[in-house]
Order: sequence, then structure tokens, then C-alpha cells
Amino acid sequence: MKFCKRYLLVPVLCLATVFAAGCKSKPHEIYTNIPDGGYSLNDKTFVLSPVIEGHTPSEEEETQTDTTGFTSRRYTFYAMTVNADLIIADDFTKEGAEEKASSFTAAIAAKLLEVEKAISGTVMSSDVYLFNKAEAGERLEIRQITYEVLSEALAVHSFTDGYYNPALYYNIQAYGFGGAYNYPENKEGLPADDLIAKYTDLASHFSDLTLEEEEGKYYLTKPAYTVEAEGETLSMKLDLGGIGKGYAVDLIDKMFDDYGYEFGYFNFGTSSMTIKSHVTNGAYNIGLSSPRSPSRDPFMTVPLRNEKLSTSGDNEQRYFIDGVRYCHVISPVTGKPVQTGIMSATVMGGGAAEADALTTAIMAMEKEDAISFIAEKLTDKKVVITVE
Amino acid sequence: MSLKKIEQVKADKGFKIWDLVIYGVVLALTAVLFVVIFTTRNTDPLTGVEITVRGEIVFEYEFGGRPKSHSEKITIDENDKGITVTVSTDNGGLNIVYINKSAKTVKMHDANCKGKQCIHFAAIKNNSGVIICDPHGVKIEPIIKDVDSPDIPF
Repeated sequence: MKFCKRYLLVPVLCLATVFAAGCKSKPHEIYTNIPDGGYSLNDKTFVLSPVIEGHTPSEEEETQTDTTGFTSRRYTFYAMTVNADLIIADDFTKEGAEEKASSFTAAIAAKLLEVEKAISGTVMSSDVYLFNKAEAGERLEIRQITYEVLSEALAVHSFTDGYYNPALYYNIQAYGFGGAYNYPENKEGLPADDLIAKYTDLASHFSDLTLEEEEGKYYLTKPAYTVEAEGETLSMKLDLGGIGKGYAVDLIDKMFDDYGYEFGYFNFGTSSMTIKSHVTNGAYNIGLSSPRSPSRDPFMTVPLRNEKLSTSGDNEQRYFIDGVRYCHVISPVTGKPVQTGIMSATVMGGGAAEADALTTAIMAMEKEDAISFIAEKLTDKKVVITVE
Repeated sequence: MSLKKIEQVKADKGFKIWDLVIYGVVLALTAVLFVVIFTTRNTDPLTGVEITVRGEIVFEYEFGGRPKSHSEKITIDENDKGITVTVSTDNGGLNIVYINKSAKTVKMHDANCKGKQCIHFAAIKNNSGVIICDPHGVKIEPIIKDVDSPDIPF
């Protein structure tokens, strides 16, 4: 008896506690259309749900480049309020290689600045800033970049039946996101439902926005629709945070090709990314970070090469009130931070801007709608969603 | 001890063969350990640091980039020379971290923990350094990114 007490009681109690804790915590679910063998799972707190059918795998290109003497280099950039990582591999001892790398990195920095100046909501001369200041129905001349980003935004808005909507500006600000950073501390600090309904109504007219191209110039006309809220007449405002980084990644992907860099990647704030090939491994192993892991450990690894990808999650820019999570992704249906249970969405393949907007749209869908949408409309892309 | 035993001990050699073997093994292991520790240290220049509180990343900074806070309990004061990061922890803890941008070093400038051992840690100058404030669960460590690795966290 004494022996049992001394040597068995504490371990048994410890094991029982661990077992009880394990039984209590419900594992998160993963839904993907990537066929078996196209990924590996790293986290036992995630369980794989049945594969979403319909994905058509694309042929992978093999590189024939002789990589003898190649080394990798890393460069850091800052744009659109986030850091970006560039890795390129080359034989830097080769004549002209250093100059080429300098020219490439300078061109990337200039391109990021150009995109930011066009679509940032806080840069005072940007097209988006001027659009947000403009009167309802006003026509503005805009840059080609803004024209292209908005063309893509309108296309994804239509493709997702309005689930992607960059006109939810007022809603984003009302909940303290989009650079406002004035997170409410309690329920009383949250915006009123009738106000949110008006903002959402205004945003629902996003497709009324018109884009025109005339003799090499680009024009944007603000929808004439307005709403009255808190004694003010509000016209539409835009927040292109859900597509802008992806668009920049698309441009940088093209620059990789223009400069002849086959190896490396550009990771824009772990939001959007273009991946080329890895010098020795061929594919890069993309570790999709667990949205509930404080140290952002990967729950799944997907080998990828020559692809662009984007991800959205409810773990970045979020706060809690009475245990309820409020994140920066706003549902165009409720006008409020998404609370559908979808924790993250990652889209691989196609353009990064499109993928960026698609992940935002998927986050706003109910789980079953998201699964149907992926199965029916995203057959050419690899998609992973995690559900709480 | 009996007189006979004392005489026997006196008659014995100072070291028996197995004593020498054991001493030899201990010395060899110490030497190996010393070599391993000093040859496998990552002495690459510091490129960035992250601060964690009880395992959760609350702050990241890479030299050349912008400081990134992941928690409302972090306050950042930045100027051309450096960045002062104040970390507040749930147990009333306060740690002040200073990042010197030009020297590329990071140190615990001040803390209100008992003993204040963390402020006596050497400044982090390369990828082998670390500073820990155990009472507050605060850890400062280098961000190490292997440019040759095919693994990318996303």
C-alpha cells in the first residue's frame, strides 16, 4: 500500500489529468481538395475531413538549369505595413550576377512603393485615398495599377457572389481594424447593429462601381448610392487590403521571370507568396501555420513549386470580448467580423491577387457553403481550410 | 578503520587502472563537449529577434524592416538609433528590451522581476544568444532563417 502511494499515485493522477484534458479539447478540422499524397499532416490536434472532390492536378515543370555554384540570399522589404522576404539563388560569383541582384531588388522595392502609392488607403495621394474622399457619382482618373486591382476585385466579387467585398470600409473601421487600431474593450464599445446594417447596405453596391479605359488612361466612377448614418451622408469607400498584397506578388512573380530567376520565393507578410523552385529540393515545403498555435507551428506541409498562394486567417488582427473572437475579416452578409468557425483559408494556384481575394471570401462563407464553393468553382486550385 | 586496513590502503598504488580509465573518459567527454559547444555555435550575425511570453510570440523585428507587435501588451518606441520595447505580462511583470539598430544588438534594459537576473544577461550579438526572464516567462531570441532551407512557414 505504501509502495502504491509513493510510486503510483502521482503518475496515475498526472496521466488521468492529461487524458481528461485530451478528451475535453475538440480537434480542429481540415478540409482540402488536395488529393492524398499531395501533403503531410504535422499536428495531431487537427483531423482531416473527407477530401473535397473535384481538384484537377496540374503538370509540374522540371527545371533543367545547371545549379552548380548556386547560393541563396535573403533580402527584406517593408511595404503596406508588413515585412516581406525575398530569397533568390544564383551563382553570385558569375560576372554581372551582383549587379543583376542589385537591380532586381531595387526594382522590387520600387514596384512595392508604386503599388502602395496607388492603392493604399492612408497614402494621401493614392487613388484609393482620393476615391474615398470623392463625392458619390464622381469620376476620377486613376493609375493602371488601381485599374487592374479593381478589375480583379470586381471579377472575384462576382465569382464569389459578393462574398469578397472590398467596399466594407466603414464596417472594418467601426470594428477598429484597417489601421484604426481602436479595438473596443467591451460590448458597449462595439458598433450598433443598425449602423452596421447601413454600412453593409452601402458596401453591397460595390458592383455599381465603374471602370473605364480610354486612350491609355484609366477612370473610376464612384457609385451614386449613399446612406445616411449618424447625421452624415456616406458614400462608398474602399479597403483593398484583401487583394493588394496578392496583386503586388503577381507583379513580382513576373519580375522573377523577367530577370531570369528560377530559384527562390517572395513572401509578402505571410499573406501572399510566389514560389519558384528550390535549388536542390525542387519543391519548397510550405508549412501552413496553425491559426491557434501561439508559436505558429505548421499543421500541414504542402510541397509546391512555380505557384502563387495566399492565405487569410482569424488569428491576425483580432480581439476578444466576453470570450468571443472579433477578427479583421468582415462578412458581407452580416457586416460583422466573421464567426463562421472557419479559422483559415489558403488558396494555392492561379494569380496571387485572385487567391488573396478568394481566401477572404471563403472566410466569410458558412462551412458547408465554402466546401461546395471549393468543390464546384475552385477545381483548378489547391485549397485548404481549417475549421474550429 | 582497523590498523590492518590502514596498512593495506597505504600499500596500495595511488591509482588503479580503472581509476585512470574513468578519469580519462571523464576528461575526454569534457573535451568533446567543449569542442561540440564551441564549434556548433551559430555565430552568424544577428538578423532579427523575436520576443515570446510563455511561448507566445509577441514581438518580431528584423534589422532593416519594421518592428511587428503581436500583442496589445507591447509598446514600441522607435527612433533612428534603436527600438525600446516594453513588455507587460499578465502577472504584473514589466520588461524593457532595447534593440540597437546600428550595432545590431539586443539587451534586456530593465525589468521589475525578483533578482533581475535577466538584465545581467550578455547582449545578443549573434544567432547563438538568448535572454530569459524566467519569473515573467519572457524570452528574447534570434530569428534564424536558413536561406537554403526548402521549408517555409506560411
